[in-house]
Amino acid sequence: MANSSPSRQPTNHWVNGSPQRSGLDELFAEDRNSEARHRYLLEVAKQEHERIRKEAERVYREQLKREELQRIAEERRKEQERIRLEEERIRHEEQLAAERARLNELKAKKIEIPPPLPEPEPPAAPVTNGTTPAAQTAKQNGPVQTNGPATKPAPAIQSGGLFGSLGPKTATAPSIGGLLFSSQPTPPAQSQLPPPAPPASSVPASTTPKPNGVGPASESSRSTAPSEAQIAPDRYIEVHKNLKLLRKSVMEQAKTNPALKARLGDMRREIRKSVGQLTVASGVAGVNKVQQQKINQLLREALSNQVQSQPMEVSNFVLEPRNPVQGAVNNEATLPSVFLYLINIFAKAAIAQFINEAGSRPETADPVGICVAATLSEPDFLWRGKSLIDMLLAKFRVVCPVLFGHRGSEKTEQGRARIGWWKDGGRWVSEQQHMDRMTGLGAGFAAISLRNFANSKKTNPFPPREYWAAMARIVNTPAADISGTQCTVLKAMVEGYEQKFIEFYGTAALAALRTALVEFPARATQRSPAVDALQVVAQRLKRDTGLVLG
Amino acid sequence: MLSDPPTNMIAQSQSGTGKTAAFVLTVLSRVDFSKPTQPQALLLAPSRELARQIQGVIQTIGRFVDNLIVEAAIPGGISRETGVQSAVVVGTPGTVMDLIKRRQFNVSQLKLLVIDEADNMLDQQGLGDQCLRVKNLLPRTIQILLFSATFPDKVLNYARKFAPNANEIKLRHQELTVKGISQMYMDCPDESRKYDILCKLYGLMTIGSSVIFVKTRESANEIQRRMEADGHKVSVLHGAHEGQNRDALLDDFRMGRSKVLITTNVLARGIDVSSVSMVINYDIPMKMVRGREEPDMETYLHRIGRTGRFGRVGVSISFVYDRKSFEALSQIADFYGIDLVQLSPDDWDATEQKVQDVIKSSRARPDYAPNVIDKKD
Repeated sequence: MANSSPSRQPTNHWVNGSPQRSGLDELFAEDRNSEARHRYLLEVAKQEHERIRKEAERVYREQLKREELQRIAEERRKEQERIRLEEERIRHEEQLAAERARLNELKAKKIEIPPPLPEPEPPAAPVTNGTTPAAQTAKQNGPVQTNGPATKPAPAIQSGGLFGSLGPKTATAPSIGGLLFSSQPTPPAQSQLPPPAPPASSVPASTTPKPNGVGPASESSRSTAPSEAQIAPDRYIEVHKNLKLLRKSVMEQAKTNPALKARLGDMRREIRKSVGQLTVASGVAGVNKVQQQKINQLLREALSNQVQSQPMEVSNFVLEPRNPVQGAVNNEATLPSVFLYLINIFAKAAIAQFINEAGSRPETADPVGICVAATLSEPDFLWRGKSLIDMLLAKFRVVCPVLFGHRGSEKTEQGRARIGWWKDGGRWVSEQQHMDRMTGLGAGFAAISLRNFANSKKTNPFPPREYWAAMARIVNTPAADISGTQCTVLKAMVEGYEQKFIEFYGTAALAALRTALVEFPARATQRSPAVDALQVVAQRLKRDTGLVLG
Repeated sequence: MLSDPPTNMIAQSQSGTGKTAAFVLTVLSRVDFSKPTQPQALLLAPSRELARQIQGVIQTIGRFVDNLIVEAAIPGGISRETGVQSAVVVGTPGTVMDLIKRRQFNVSQLKLLVIDEADNMLDQQGLGDQCLRVKNLLPRTIQILLFSATFPDKVLNYARKFAPNANEIKLRHQELTVKGISQMYMDCPDESRKYDILCKLYGLMTIGSSVIFVKTRESANEIQRRMEADGHKVSVLHGAHEGQNRDALLDDFRMGRSKVLITTNVLARGIDVSSVSMVINYDIPMKMVRGREEPDMETYLHRIGRTGRFGRVGVSISFVYDRKSFEALSQIADFYGIDLVQLSPDDWDATEQKVQDVIKSSRARPDYAPNVIDKKD
């Protein structure tokens, strides 16, 4: 408006300035200088001015009107779009809710079958005997075949409930995963899934085997976990035991090998110190570069084995058997024991840092998680093409079992043992200490598993689907078995990682968050501060980010 | 504290057990929030850092209180144009007095005076005088609350005059140490090796953040140089730094951008950073008493109280290198009835093992952190 009329109108004004007469007439007319003529011209000019002004005002009003209309239209469009999105969301959530309801129904049904649920120990043994072989084979055979053996024995076993609930449980994860793929075309991290599965089906395939692999243990843990663990210790525990043997062996070697003794303690302390020096990056790149380089340098030194430590079978320290891979740096069956020892120390230092530091300040877990992912993905430190993160996971399994689907009541001795409540000097540590530890470990788990390797040439040693799977293992707990420990771990996993999670999984992450922060705590039959704290996370998200989950 | 009519109180409780929370709750429950700009509660602290921290705690606890305004009466904290415009004022005595004198702080309706680290505030010449003068400017009926982890006898007598007819909560000095803090000392062969030994400590155990207390600014700067060369991210904070700069340095440490804080005594008291897991007395704290140097019992306790906050575990390591420092530390240990564990820098493998054992046993100590659950079981 401002630049449409005035520029044009003034020219018109000059042309129309002397109406009825041409330029010459004007010049030679007698009354050219008379007052009347002058007044007349003034009057004309004034009228002209008035006209232009009115015209301008009219145009301006029209323009305003047009804009207003446009704005209204735009708003209407936005509103419709919003409604559409909302409807879509509701549809998704309805689907999810329906599934969840079905799942709960199934679970509710299932719980009725074995009544001696509260006392896990005695009645458990016979049932588990039947299931453990299946679980074992399932795990031994690797992920691809897991589905087969795990589902096949289900009908055969009398208390089909054990796996009956496994069915829907695993079904939820992929169904949400499927949702992910329909709604989010290119999730960067998913493209790096392990080679065996074709990309399209990779999420369902990869989310399923994990819960399955651990599933039997976790499922049975609901009713029979302790005995299951006693009869057939899971592979994580085996690896953990082997790590203790490794430490012993290296210490023995140091007694007779002065070169090793001279370096070992210093290397160990350097690693611990470097992990302890990692600081919160807060958007500044490279703050922890020195530490990262130091750790890599120490591990390389160990790998070169100048101290002549004995070689050791690596297969003892990984969860699944591995075959040599073409092009891998380390393909031999063995690696220097000092290298394995230092990886172990590194994993230990990371876990200790989670417990000691992230327990009181969860945000400090992030730099450690970055360092873990970066170090263990180094091509030089892979064995047969895959990372040695299994050592770290074995430790995680021991210190924070609920991440791996293990459950237990905090009111019983066995229950506490099962969920990793520490004992010191024969007594349980205080609740606050326990919850601090769980907070640190939950945050640490998220810090390791929610790393974006999209722009890296390296392979993510612990991709985000592991996070999804761990979350699923917690939120699929039957209402009566939900423990404060689980809530605390879940809260620590979620808090501060909402954005990363949503970046990886899009709408599916929202659904998962809703399940974790709204439905899961609402289902808990026992109120506790931890349960309430989980709900507060949802409220805080709403207040701080406007993200409404339910 | 909360009862009516308001009664004065002198309260002692171990470091990291919630004194701040206790008086903040009192403040929030006494203030009339329909008059949000009328000063009603005044809290005094010995340092600007502590005043800011308390201000933060009030804001956190009072997050859901409408009309809560808290101002910090520290240099640069109050607008010179408007003066104090808040119901709750946290400050250092000097600044508070200036404000009152300039008539920028209307004290006529103050109901509550809280003095944190009260023994320190009342004991020191300057601070004590200022506190007294501030108090004399306040209404007669004001409720006075004195808090500290330590109340030496002679200060206590004075405190009783300062806060007459007060209810008292007192602890014996043998009960003052927090059980979760493992206290050790490092036997250094001579002073010059302290730097290297200090750097080695960080490999012995898992450490979150740490605080190193030194005597002089010079050694603070030298330690900073050495530790940065060793890969640490360090904040140094002592009296030579200006107020705003000090705030920024401490914020770095609070936010975890730096994990080592080297400081002189300015920060011995009150500062609460939950992830501090190690406190180092690079120099044993000393004080001048009648022209003679004596071990400073209170400062030792406040220093090590920077770790083991809120029932968590922590480690304190004090460096001794000659007869004098050794004797000073033994006196402190005797006074509080603590068994200090000796560490030696000769064999780091053995020292590491020892430290690990000590940490383990501190958690397992039967009287550590009594809790409800144990009783239930």
